Amino acid sequence: MKKKSVPLLLSVMMISTLMLAACSSDGGKTTNTGSTGTEGNKPAASEGTKEEASENEAPAEITIMLPLNIAETPPDTIKNELEKLTNTKLTYNFFPADTYEEKLNASFATGSLPQVTYLKNQATFLNLKEAIRDGEFWEIGPYLSEYENLSKLKEQVLNNTKVDGKLYTLYIGRPLARQGVIYRKDWADKLGLPEPKTTEELFEMMKQFTENDPDGDGQKNTVGLADRNDLVYGAFKTLSSYFQTPNNWGEKDGQLLPEFMFDEYVQTMDYVKKIREAGYMNQDFAATSKTDQINLFTSGKAGVYIGSMQDVSTLDKDLTKNVPTAVTDVNSLITGPSGKYGIWALPGYNNVVVFPKSAIKDEAELKKVLAFFDKQMTPEASNLMFWGIEGTHYEVIDGKAKEMDDKDKIEREVKGFKDSVIGEVETNGRYDGYYSLPSRIKAEELIITNEQHAIHDPTAPLDSATYTEKGLQLQDIITDATYKYIYGQIDKAGFDQAIETWKSRGGSQIIEEFNAAYKK
Amino acid sequence: MEEAVVLEKKLQSARSPKSSSELKRRLWKNKLLYIMILPGLLYFVVFKYLPMYGLIISFQNYKPYKGISGSDWVGFEHFKRLFTEPDFLNILTNTLILFGMNLLFFFPIPIVLALMLNEVRSSAFKRTIQTMVYIPHFMSWVIIVSISYVMLTMDGGIINELVSMLGMNKINFLLSPEWFRPTYIMQVIWREAGWGTIIYLAAIASIDPTQYEAARIDGAGRLRQVWHITLPAIRSVIIILLILKIGDVLELGFEHVYLLLNSMNRSVAEIIDTYVYTAGLQQGQFSYSAAVGFFKSFIGLVLVMLANKLAKKMGEDGVY
Repeated sequence: MKKKSVPLLLSVMMISTLMLAACSSDGGKTTNTGSTGTEGNKPAASEGTKEEASENEAPAEITIMLPLNIAETPPDTIKNELEKLTNTKLTYNFFPADTYEEKLNASFATGSLPQVTYLKNQATFLNLKEAIRDGEFWEIGPYLSEYENLSKLKEQVLNNTKVDGKLYTLYIGRPLARQGVIYRKDWADKLGLPEPKTTEELFEMMKQFTENDPDGDGQKNTVGLADRNDLVYGAFKTLSSYFQTPNNWGEKDGQLLPEFMFDEYVQTMDYVKKIREAGYMNQDFAATSKTDQINLFTSGKAGVYIGSMQDVSTLDKDLTKNVPTAVTDVNSLITGPSGKYGIWALPGYNNVVVFPKSAIKDEAELKKVLAFFDKQMTPEASNLMFWGIEGTHYEVIDGKAKEMDDKDKIEREVKGFKDSVIGEVETNGRYDGYYSLPSRIKAEELIITNEQHAIHDPTAPLDSATYTEKGLQLQDIITDATYKYIYGQIDKAGFDQAIETWKSRGGSQIIEEFNAAYKK
Repeated sequence: MEEAVVLEKKLQSARSPKSSSELKRRLWKNKLLYIMILPGLLYFVVFKYLPMYGLIISFQNYKPYKGISGSDWVGFEHFKRLFTEPDFLNILTNTLILFGMNLLFFFPIPIVLALMLNEVRSSAFKRTIQTMVYIPHFMSWVIIVSISYVMLTMDGGIINELVSMLGMNKINFLLSPEWFRPTYIMQVIWREAGWGTIIYLAAIASIDPTQYEAARIDGAGRLRQVWHITLPAIRSVIIILLILKIGDVLELGFEHVYLLLNSMNRSVAEIIDTYVYTAGLQQGQFSYSAAVGFFKSFIGLVLVMLANKLAKKMGEDGVY
């Protein structure tokens, strides 16, 4: 027995080790954040371009580091054209987006960041703020006015990217306010419902969609709203804007307070609670994933979807596959009890570019780099980077760009550059996208109108040390309480108690810190 | 006797100055064995030992751009924050309860399943069943949780439709704290029970068939054979797997729990792993995350040592 058990033990150990090894890939190990990451980077495919500048001025040599969201480094097609347009000699260093942060940190730690360094997203920008304060990067705010195109960049978005009131970055723009209501136009027409313009009409729509058999199959198997387990990008925050709730933070009696301390927030909770209790939305929305939410809508079970209006393209495509007669429509201009429009706004950027002092030695060099970005913001250059080469990657219809059919080619050659274009349509003058779906065209128009009614987050450019440390964790207290209130498990008193808990665990400090930063 | 003398001599030579050449000679003599060990050894060094270096950051205010060598030291500050966290006890309890249930309800099932499979006479039938119970193991938690969602949802999920057909009130499986743990355990069993039988089946296969013959001649029935031959024979395997399982005490599957976690069941579903994710990683608090992970590994170590000691008291070998 004793003798036998040794090889047995070994074999058991070996098998289980193998199994552990096999399992650990999906085991969700989250604690190892050491610097042992793989750097599967490919050297930039930019050597050997025989570019002779015919201008009197020698082309500026600029090295750019940026994340790549596709598998292969793009060929030089776009880059060569861009060099001609901007009189530069560019070296693009693409690194896979998945491991980009590691690459960024490693390069930073060794002082080898190039002249132009793209970050990955807003989160990397937040993490870098400390280094920015330490003076590792050029402050570019004072120079912007010298450049014709760069000075067009949106004030509001630039403000959101400032660190302690100073501008260090250029931003890659995204629409400020694209949230709205997507609904089944065919159902509404059948039931004689108008386009929802108030929260009351929206409620009525959800009610009728649930009760009056809009799909006409004689069964009560439809539901008004399809929502998911996300209070921000799901329906809740957008609905809260219609009630004029501030965006994350708002001013009350001269003091900045979080949105959930406003009556409008409670009104929104009551509204959603009413919808849920009446059965006009999916009952399990607090546990519903985005996939399942989309499924409810595209399978023809639910009639209202509240979220990014740009999603209407994919929603419509999948819906008409299942229900060929379905028609979608969008609206975001909806008023609450106050009679005013409101749409909460995103910070307006999804990534930024920084200019490390370690690579850019003096002001003259910085100006050369900024001049490159200034030229990049002309319609020619930004169309080239965003859409590719006309006739090869896109064609122009009615002054709008329509992608060619060879999507693989576009993805391979253009996508890498597309994600790095500074500014947005309004500021860099590139073509709008061409859409054929009427509701998508309307959505794009609404996104522009929305900006006039945008509710901005006053804390976007502000900092709070406590918020950085545990803001998200504390937010869970409020998120949980909000759901519990909607599900009727706690009442207003219970919700107020959650706010007190939030305050006592660091919320009060966050309020203080944001207000101190706000007054500066 | 002679052997002992040889051994004594060997020991002496090992202690003598010539020991290094002696070591080399022995290494050379058993080179094949060492080569065979090498991949496993490398695996542990590269994936288990080297990353331990990263634990340093749990005593620092780690800033990625400064690196480990450039970050400031803060001593036990992150551990203090963890232990003074108001939810700390709740999270620890949740983790341990989930682990306990895992041990109590999940651990025996592969053994039972293996015993049952072993009794199946038709090998074609046995293999079919085996393959079928393995399959869920290769599905990701995302798929398993989505399938459960479709079955359990109150908006037309099949189980709730059945419940309401039976005239009962619909049950809020997905959102109620009472149903979180049963759901979790059922999903673990469904996904892993079949896979867990592999080792037991291998152990059962190594039992000498003559023992069964002897038992049959003595008039032992099927159940008697299982009780007196199969189970004692795989006893040591069970104990070893149990200890190893305890070592994974806090590996409850972040992905799985995170997918099941929502605002309504957080009071029971928040475990150390999900806490690390929201409090640490999402906010770029690498040092704090590392500190919590460190604490988690420490609990695991303590439990393994206890279990090992217990196993030895019971006369088993243990894992070390």
